[in-house]
Amino acid sequence: MICLGGKACGLTSQNGVIFSIVTDRATCNDQRQHMNRTPNQLGRLRPAPEHFLTDAEIMAVKAGRRDFLRTSLQVASAAMAAPLSARATEGDPVILQLPEWTTTAGRPVADRPYGTPSIHESQLQRRQLRGLSKVAANSASFTPLQGLFGIITPSGLHYERHHQGWHDIDPTRHRLMITASNPAFIRTPKVYTMDDLMRLPPVSHIHFLECGGNTGTEWGNAMVPTVQYTHGLLSCSEFTGVPLRLLLEHCGVDFKSARYILAEGADGASLTRTIPMELVESGEVFVAYGQNGEMLRPENGYPLRLIVPGVQGVSWVKWLRRIEVGDQAYASREETIHYVDQMPDGRLRQYTSVNECKSVITSPSGGQTLISHGYFNVTGLAWSGRGKIRRVDVSFDGGRTWRQARLEGPVLDKALTRFNIDWVWDGESAVLQSRAIDETGYVQPNYGQLRSVRGSRSIYHNNAIQSWEVLPSGEVNNVQVL
Amino acid sequence: MFKYFELVLLAVLVSAVPTARAQDTFQRIGREATPAELRAWDIDVRPDFLGLPPGSGNVAKGREVFLAKCAACHGAAGESNAMFTPLIGGTTKEDIASGRVKSLSLRTTSERTMFMKVNTLSTLFDYIQRAMPWSQPKSLTTNEVYSVLAYLLNLADVVPENFTLRDITMAEVQQRLPNRNGMTTDHGLWPGASTNRGGIGNGGQPDLKIEACMSDCRTEIRLGPPLPESMRKAQGDLAEQTRAFGPVRGTSPRPN
Repeated sequence: MICLGGKACGLTSQNGVIFSIVTDRATCNDQRQHMNRTPNQLGRLRPAPEHFLTDAEIMAVKAGRRDFLRTSLQVASAAMAAPLSARATEGDPVILQLPEWTTTAGRPVADRPYGTPSIHESQLQRRQLRGLSKVAANSASFTPLQGLFGIITPSGLHYERHHQGWHDIDPTRHRLMITASNPAFIRTPKVYTMDDLMRLPPVSHIHFLECGGNTGTEWGNAMVPTVQYTHGLLSCSEFTGVPLRLLLEHCGVDFKSARYILAEGADGASLTRTIPMELVESGEVFVAYGQNGEMLRPENGYPLRLIVPGVQGVSWVKWLRRIEVGDQAYASREETIHYVDQMPDGRLRQYTSVNECKSVITSPSGGQTLISHGYFNVTGLAWSGRGKIRRVDVSFDGGRTWRQARLEGPVLDKALTRFNIDWVWDGESAVLQSRAIDETGYVQPNYGQLRSVRGSRSIYHNNAIQSWEVLPSGEVNNVQVL
Repeated sequence: MFKYFELVLLAVLVSAVPTARAQDTFQRIGREATPAELRAWDIDVRPDFLGLPPGSGNVAKGREVFLAKCAACHGAAGESNAMFTPLIGGTTKEDIASGRVKSLSLRTTSERTMFMKVNTLSTLFDYIQRAMPWSQPKSLTTNEVYSVLAYLLNLADVVPENFTLRDITMAEVQQRLPNRNGMTTDHGLWPGASTNRGGIGNGGQPDLKIEACMSDCRTEIRLGPPLPESMRKAQGDLAEQTRAFGPVRGTSPRPN
């Protein structure tokens, strides 16, 4: 505790200097006083974790009342003094009065043959960004990153982007055809059933999947309130399937002549994207039927989708029906009219595919309110389309000073990487940022740096550093540091 | 010399091994596609017009088809923003002459119509043929696709009212697309070979090279404009979008 306080104190004094322009100077003594004022034991006296803050207390936090915790202690003490629950004075009622789950029999096995989350988790859902699209079959839903742990996205919360709606395809009627733009480029064009593909030796790899338009609303200004909407076109799964190189070899593809592939979906849009043969030859690209231990979900391409690690989601063609190998790029609609990045001179960058190194703090994050002063584990995600994450730094003062975060769990190639860092919030304003560095040495840019080369009308591939402003009330807001 | 040839032969054999192995090992997996199957699914049209089916269509016929099957979403003149991004608008005769849509660089409009961006006519043919109309994709005949495309080109002032678009005139018409010179592949976001090596782009070189500063990185912290209140409200009650326990709560809507 003392050690933690000491570390935080040093940081806080830096914070104080920086935030002297916007708020009161916080000193080491202030910090210690805050900590004395909010002893950790206090929480243990509160009625129950679920009701840690009453409505009145939340209003007090919002109103910026610095003494809200002291007040809440008084309220709690008063409640305990009430004659109705004499036993409550002895401790927490949910401990002293056994709850129904402790005093009754529970439900049987296989009550829900396909398990679903607790009813208490209903807040975390895929959500549409209202105002993004007028046609829900040509739209996106966003992953609730603010409440997820680790690096794997639950399949039911994987973000969606459909270009002409989704279908639940009958796998016995699904086919994958491998063809060539020129008959000379392939010995035998072939058709594979799901039976065929699932007989072949599979690989399983964990990779992130990010829409090229993720964070696209934020190019000009902070525009959406939460991390779900700023960064939620992002997911990470373990995918299982067959390396595409193996299938192309099986068909006798002439790799010398055919340097591109076209991937095509079986949906109404029959969406197409060009992918370089180099990524296929490296063994990275695979046709997947499995996701997180089960089959792909229909919204994510059941029964077959392409996995193109490090490349934006649109190239991970869902409901994959055809691969054509060829000797030039295809200029499909999704690489000519959309998914082109507008530069300041008005030119459109075509065939932008790689998602560059990026990170975001997922908690605390925009649209949330901290429940008290004191210790917080600040957590987030980092990823790079060029390889592994080497390091993540976090700033609590808007980018003036940085500390290195801890990378938690596996650090994998082209996968989400979880980071954590300790923070003792002293009740002052703060601006939280994360900055990722990948194994190529590329450093995630801030908005000033990114706009200096890309302007603000690119729509796609916004990998700038995200800022969350914490107000004295505990409220966290999406802001941009200019 | 002899040894050199041996080495080359060895290299050829080694490089041929994976293909041979896949073909030998994975027996009775997959089967050859029939010519009819290839024709049924191979509908892509490339920028060099490989894959373009023979056919033709004129502006008048295109108007007829468009009004019947497309206008409900796109508006009679392809101008509608009600459902999708407009197809038509934002281009000038000067743009057609220069091949660059000037308004893209002027910041005069935030709207980017299809004709402000597209540089390859094959793209439009390919997309209409594979994905349109919205509720019945792939239902248009080849000549209907040519007709609808002719109508759109006329709306965009690329071809005259009496124009008939044919497979053999596609390349010529493409030379009048208003943004035909507006694309660039000079960037580092293509994961394959560079332009110099027969691919696309600069070989993966990022357009930023930044040092990771750790202290005294900024002298002042200036924040941009706050999130528009309307945008916060548009996404509903944020308190209901975050778990109800843990270190944080979703922020409740502010009282009006």
